Amino acid sequence: MNENTIQLDNPLTQLGFETDTLIPPGQMGAICARAGIGKTSFLVQVGLFAMARGQKVLHISLDEPVNKINLWYREVFNLMAPKNGINRLNQAWNTILPNRLIMTLKLDGFSVPRLEERLADMIEQDIFKPETLVIDGFPFDSCDRSLLKDLKILAEKMGMNVWFTVTTHRHEEPDQDGYPVQLSGISDLFSLLFQMVPDNKTVNLNILKGQLVAEKSKPLFIDTDTMLIYA
Amino acid sequence: MKIDLSKVRNIGISAHIDSGKTTLTERILFYTNRIHAIHDVKGKDGVGAVMDSMELEKERGITIASAATFCEWKDTEINIIDTPGHVDFTIEVERSLRVLDGAILVLCSVSGVQSQSITVDNQMKRYNVPCIAFINKCDRSGANPFRVVTQLKEKLGHNPVALQIPVGLEDKHMGMIDLLTMKALYFEGKNGETIIEEEIPKELLDEAIAKREELIEAASLFSDELTEAILEEAEITSELIIEGVRRGTIARKLTPVLMGSAYKNKGVQPLLDAVTHYLPAPYDVKNEALDMDNNEMPVILMSDTEEKTVALAFKLEDGNYGQLTYIRVYQGTIKKGDTVVNSRNGRKVKIGRVVRMHAAEMEDIEVIHAGYIGALFGVECSSGDTFTDPSLNLTMLSMFVPDPVISLAVKPKDNKSQINMSKALSRFTKEDPTFKTHVDPETNETIIEGMGELHLEVYVERMFREYKAEVETGKPRVAYRETITQRAEYEYIHKKQTGGSGQYAKVMGFMEPIEDEHFIFENKVTGGRIPTNYIPACEKGFRLCLAKGPKMEYPVTGIKITLTDGAFHAVDSSDMAFQAAARGGFIEAYNKAKPVIHEPIMKVEIETPTEFQGNCMGLINQRRGMILGSQDEGVMCRIEAQVPLSEMFGFSTILRSNTQGKAQFTMEFAMYKQVPQMIAETLLKAAQDEKKK
Repeated sequence: MNENTIQLDNPLTQLGFETDTLIPPGQMGAICARAGIGKTSFLVQVGLFAMARGQKVLHISLDEPVNKINLWYREVFNLMAPKNGINRLNQAWNTILPNRLIMTLKLDGFSVPRLEERLADMIEQDIFKPETLVIDGFPFDSCDRSLLKDLKILAEKMGMNVWFTVTTHRHEEPDQDGYPVQLSGISDLFSLLFQMVPDNKTVNLNILKGQLVAEKSKPLFIDTDTMLIYA
Repeated sequence: MKIDLSKVRNIGISAHIDSGKTTLTERILFYTNRIHAIHDVKGKDGVGAVMDSMELEKERGITIASAATFCEWKDTEINIIDTPGHVDFTIEVERSLRVLDGAILVLCSVSGVQSQSITVDNQMKRYNVPCIAFINKCDRSGANPFRVVTQLKEKLGHNPVALQIPVGLEDKHMGMIDLLTMKALYFEGKNGETIIEEEIPKELLDEAIAKREELIEAASLFSDELTEAILEEAEITSELIIEGVRRGTIARKLTPVLMGSAYKNKGVQPLLDAVTHYLPAPYDVKNEALDMDNNEMPVILMSDTEEKTVALAFKLEDGNYGQLTYIRVYQGTIKKGDTVVNSRNGRKVKIGRVVRMHAAEMEDIEVIHAGYIGALFGVECSSGDTFTDPSLNLTMLSMFVPDPVISLAVKPKDNKSQINMSKALSRFTKEDPTFKTHVDPETNETIIEGMGELHLEVYVERMFREYKAEVETGKPRVAYRETITQRAEYEYIHKKQTGGSGQYAKVMGFMEPIEDEHFIFENKVTGGRIPTNYIPACEKGFRLCLAKGPKMEYPVTGIKITLTDGAFHAVDSSDMAFQAAARGGFIEAYNKAKPVIHEPIMKVEIETPTEFQGNCMGLINQRRGMILGSQDEGVMCRIEAQVPLSEMFGFSTILRSNTQGKAQFTMEFAMYKQVPQMIAETLLKAAQDEKKK
């Protein structure tokens, strides 16, 4: 924890998870949805909630430039701010900004040893020690289990929780466990799986996998205008 | 002077420093017969490239000032503005872009789209300048023009389309294939002046056919005639493709890409053809002015010599015969003997000598027509002034000028230097709106202010070289500011009754921090508790306090002061008394409002080979910098960060020594941010020590 914190109401806590961070360090979670439903926005909100708590967030993108991701964060933050009684936007934003670092990697050059080397370098120089890792654009359609397994080992070693986006396709049926086919054979590596399901004018946020304290759980939705999560 | 505007191009050459744009300009002037010999930028032969008319530029191998020059290619007249490549001088680039109709974006085929290219490209977007890209240095080891084409698309968001493919690269670079004519072009003769057209080498034929298909497809989106020809399987002529590409380019929806090596004299003539084919003529571009008589309503200017005159002074230079003012005429004409009005101050200006510039040489002309660029002698004005017909009251759009972030005390070494320095400073402040100067009333020192360390360094050297003014400089000073962090109330009575007429005023209200504004004053006094005629005096009193903050005497910003109540005396109250009360109220509330010091934060982008990424991040971290992100781009990596300006002094040397000279960086002002407590204390101590002295 550091002093760079602000008050940001996190609706995800209303789902009734044991911890504020939803998943403990060393574990992995993912948000699954079709293209265009709002996965990146969800991930950015997860990142912002962590940043607001003073957690260091490393956002890794495999396809978008730094500026664009930065813009995502800033715009989602601007939308969240009025609901959280934040009047001085710039000041609040500058308070939590040091908690985030964006890394854009080329998909073909992405490897766990390389990522580990980068992280070790940053930690050693006391530049940034991530506590939450957010990975957008991970190629679930074509990745093999070993890559994700290595990532999980790295997460455990470095004490980070890791979040992914998983792009599903309209025409695909879920696998035998009820998970998107992209996660077939690797779903055991995830302790928490969300799915965004469009329903008329709203988007439901369903939990596919994860441990809840049942009596506390409230359903969550995504506001299709702002893409913000609400209870 | 001919006035066929379809045969006029006003273009700029914009690029990253060291991508070879000065060499390219030199070659263009050579092929258009404006110069008769070719020199290197670095001036190995002691002459130097013609466009770098300033000594200093020759020495450093960089282009600082934008010299406008005129040349003719085939039957088209081309005015070229050579734009500076360093980010510290971007106001020059922006001013140039304002008067351009199109630009050549020069990129290096080895290093590709660099951070400076991104800055320059953003500026082109802002001013809606259509461009064609020239991928230079195809003869260099590691050249890969198609990687650069991909970067144009991915990094700059252009829609690039290659008009050529290279014949050989690196040391085997021989020429290029023109995809319009499907001929291979080679450049022979001592200076590449003879173009040899040959059949396409067999091994490149398939690639050329495929790339031509891509070109036709891209161009067809902008030309129904071309689409029709494709559908009807009719012959696709070069003219059809040119027209499609031209429309796409002018709409900024297509970027034609050419390639070659200016240094090796390859590909420059086809580039000139492309300038005439694809970049807009003056009437293709919509130019607007603001009508000062009509609430600054935009007025569209017509590139017509019959209309009333509107012209913009975009660049001043001090020549041997006095001030030379570069102007672009947007409407009407500027003729010797004409009288026009400078719309900034309403003064009438009589036009004396009119010239057309070719870098440092000039040619006398009678008239400058709408759409043309030229220069005037003996006209007293500042850069950015608009000249109009006396019956008009128009101004060209004002350009955004950022506040300076760094200052330096300069002290002339002797009396002669003192006089020359004054002349130089008066000239520089007219030339460059981001360069400011004033005399500190306390220390009596002359202070110069600008946008970066290099920016000021260059002016100090210019003082010496051009004006023989030898000056000693103090340490660069960062432009700190003060602001408050919480709301605080004030209630202050100013009362004096020591003989003569008394003084009485009472003010009450509060101050609070605000974002995005320097100062807001709000009057909420009701019921005549303070008569309305004293309200401006209150505002003035508060405003006067802003120049020097009570905390550390830095300017105060980001503050809103509300006046809610007060009291007056029928006899003893006066403007003076309310001003004094406001000052008292300000100081009272200010100290309660938790004042803090703010410092300028620069947006820094470092481009480095991946192996030095860790080192560079470390350097940023040591400088209180915040790393926003890092972007992998193959062998290179770009780090984006925010670093306090005060920590960036001498950074270029340190960066070079930590990366074997392989990394480079750009920086520009981003925002003001609170100084950490520890640093604020150091600043306070330094200020106190200085006062004691």
